[in-house]
Amino acid sequence: MANPEEEEGEEEKYESFLSRVRRTVYVDELTPHASKSVVESAFSQFGTVKEVIFLPNYLGPKELPTGVLIEMESEQKAKAVIETVSQFPFMVAGMPRPVRASAARPAMFSDRPKKPGRRIQFRWVDPSDDEFDKAQRVKRLVRKHTAEAAFMIKKQLEEAEELAKQQSETVTTHHKKFELIDKLTHDGVAQELAGRYNMKCGPPYR
Amino acid sequence: MEEAAGDEGLEFKWGKKRRVGGKKKDVQFYESFTFDGDEYSLYDSVLVGDASEQDSHELFVAKIIKIWEHTNKRAKNPRQVKLLWFFRPSEISPHLLEGVQDVLANELFLASGEGPGLANVNPLEAICGKCSVVCISKDKRNPQPTDEEIKSADFVFRRAFDVGSSRVVDTIDDKIAGVDVTFLFNRAGSKQEATNVQKIQEDMNGSLDSLKLNSLPACVSVPETEDNSIESSDCRERSYGGEEGKEKGLSKLAEERSVKDSSVQESSAHGKEHDACEASGFRGNDCDGSKAQGSEVKKQFTKEKSLPAEARSSDTCDASGSRVKHSDSEKPQANDVKKPLTKQKSVSGGERYSKESNGLDDRPQKKQKLDGCDTDAFKRPRDKVTGDEVPPEKPSLVKKHRDLGVSVSERRDAKTAKKPSFDGKLLQRAEDETLGDDYERGYQVIEVKQKPDAGSSKQQMVSTSYFGQPWEESMREAEKEERVVLLQNLDPTYTSDEVQDIVYSALSEQSTARMIERTSVTISHTGEALVIFNSRQAAERAIRRLDKGCLLLSSGRPLVAVFAKINPPGKLSSFYGHTKLQKTQMRRETRDRVSTSRGSQPNTLEYVMAMEWYLHRARSDHAFQTVIKRQLEVKKSLRINFKAKLP
Repeated sequence: MANPEEEEGEEEKYESFLSRVRRTVYVDELTPHASKSVVESAFSQFGTVKEVIFLPNYLGPKELPTGVLIEMESEQKAKAVIETVSQFPFMVAGMPRPVRASAARPAMFSDRPKKPGRRIQFRWVDPSDDEFDKAQRVKRLVRKHTAEAAFMIKKQLEEAEELAKQQSETVTTHHKKFELIDKLTHDGVAQELAGRYNMKCGPPYR
Repeated sequence: MEEAAGDEGLEFKWGKKRRVGGKKKDVQFYESFTFDGDEYSLYDSVLVGDASEQDSHELFVAKIIKIWEHTNKRAKNPRQVKLLWFFRPSEISPHLLEGVQDVLANELFLASGEGPGLANVNPLEAICGKCSVVCISKDKRNPQPTDEEIKSADFVFRRAFDVGSSRVVDTIDDKIAGVDVTFLFNRAGSKQEATNVQKIQEDMNGSLDSLKLNSLPACVSVPETEDNSIESSDCRERSYGGEEGKEKGLSKLAEERSVKDSSVQESSAHGKEHDACEASGFRGNDCDGSKAQGSEVKKQFTKEKSLPAEARSSDTCDASGSRVKHSDSEKPQANDVKKPLTKQKSVSGGERYSKESNGLDDRPQKKQKLDGCDTDAFKRPRDKVTGDEVPPEKPSLVKKHRDLGVSVSERRDAKTAKKPSFDGKLLQRAEDETLGDDYERGYQVIEVKQKPDAGSSKQQMVSTSYFGQPWEESMREAEKEERVVLLQNLDPTYTSDEVQDIVYSALSEQSTARMIERTSVTISHTGEALVIFNSRQAAERAIRRLDKGCLLLSSGRPLVAVFAKINPPGKLSSFYGHTKLQKTQMRRETRDRVSTSRGSQPNTLEYVMAMEWYLHRARSDHAFQTVIKRQLEVKKSLRINFKAKLP
């Protein structure tokens, strides 16, 4: 069927694809508001960014964070990115939710070349075949699984929302406290009070 | 000053704009708005609370004759409406009512003439709800209402009350409060269906008892199987019997039945709507028969919840894009407001059904596919469906179409008996002939080469731009025409090319496919692809065949296909986890987004919060992976042999 030349060509293609995969970092939990240039500049601190591919979200819920494939110039650079981002919280285009980085896998590329030498076979299953029922059940199962996965994702998003709300509250209260203290020190009220109680009031925190 | 009646963040949305006015052009007039879940339009009749006594049980009835908003923010109540009042007999002092004959129980008097009490400007938030007021005046200018409408209306009016002369008058002037009287009479198109009293205050029974819960039957979706649907619609009929104003409901039910009989069923595409309707159903629960309704809704929900395991198509109903809702698509939904739409669909669906039954003659799907050479017989000329472009519709509409398509194809599964009988004979013959061949010809190797056609040459696959713009555009286009199918249960290592080949060889259809990437939020042990067919029929055919029969791939996976529900394009507005900095903090950080990309030191608040996100992530991942592992085990137990057992 496929002559040896073709096979070779396929293999080469696949190999180069694999090396590309090894150079790529899969970053997710990214905000959809981040543009390509933002992502590029964010990750260029680790080295040259060769390519940034956004993974589209066609079927998932709207609030799902974006995923991105970032191709660096070499495998080591990619590994470095993954290490750093996993150790320290790295935030892109907003705080405080950090992004997550991991090694890319072939299945993440929708335009990948096929594995060389693979043949797919198929057959239509006759209803009288014993396997027919099983197959129908499997089909139903698939749908069930899809629903389950979607549900899990939904729950995840709900929890994320909760957390975000909590955090924003925390931020605001902290900020209010800070402002209050700031104002007091500014107005000299704190100093006065310190004088009354014979305590020292240090310089305002900056 | 009138106070906004309890504006505790009730949701609000403007509708159609009209014109801009005011001295400084700072006033925007509107034609409609949505407030707290209800849609109000100009000249709708509404209930208004009494501002001087909060929570009083006296609600006034009025007609909206003007809606506007002050766009300069200094106004205390920027959104206002001008209300033309109706007088209840109780509001008119008795001696003025002497000599007025036949005052009905729910009769109102339209304010007319000139003077105080005719019309008022109120903040929009004073509106408590909608109601229906039917004009039963025999005036020639008034479109006469039907008996059902009169019976089911909240109020009626035929006379006016002149506020200037303080007298009840029988004739209605041409213009009242600057509004042409045609707007005050019944609307010719009879928008009665759209009015529902959803926010019924508990003690409001007095004048609103006769209130039908028209919203309820519309939104109640009947569960899966045929039997169930008949049973529950019987239920509904019974509960209708217990209500006044049931004719309207019955006529709707009859229509529903006929819609069903024409063997087209709507699926409730809108999960959100579903919820909203359910909520409203529970809210308006004070009248007789409403309890039956309420319990019925509950019953259906439990039924639905108990059937997810058996549900055949779990992902045909959801509006929010996430495929959570479990039940089958065989739910007739006659939504009030969308009634004209559904009618249209039922007609078109019926046509399609007949078309499809013809299409079945061509081949029984069990007949084995021969390789390449035979496909000439089945190959269709690649027709570019550019001609009849469906006009751009709202996503919700498109989804409904899609679900209709699915439900049509699914119903075919359920009602195999209805298929023309010769089809069965054909199958029989085919089986006899090819039974032996079936097993021999059991294994087909996929044709690797596809006919390259003008549009897309597959050979430039490796460039990443292949799936960039061109795919996106063609997908959106195809989505509008409902040619996009979601193929599931593929091997996750397949490529888009291979999927196209599979579709070509097994279903003999040309297509373009895109594998969906396996990421942290998708199931890793199964693959999915979006496949664009050349025509809607091709897509339907494919789905039908994959549904009825079983296309088994060498990895032991039967393919599953449904119409794809794709998220509409556009920027998402919500991303959880980014908190806006306060202004003083902003001054320290630069606004430039790029520079906010950085790591964080452990001694800051951000670090702590980032840790919280790590925790959240870890938990979600763990949960997700556990689910996936379990799924994998279940799948393994159901492994199918690819090699058929020889007889």
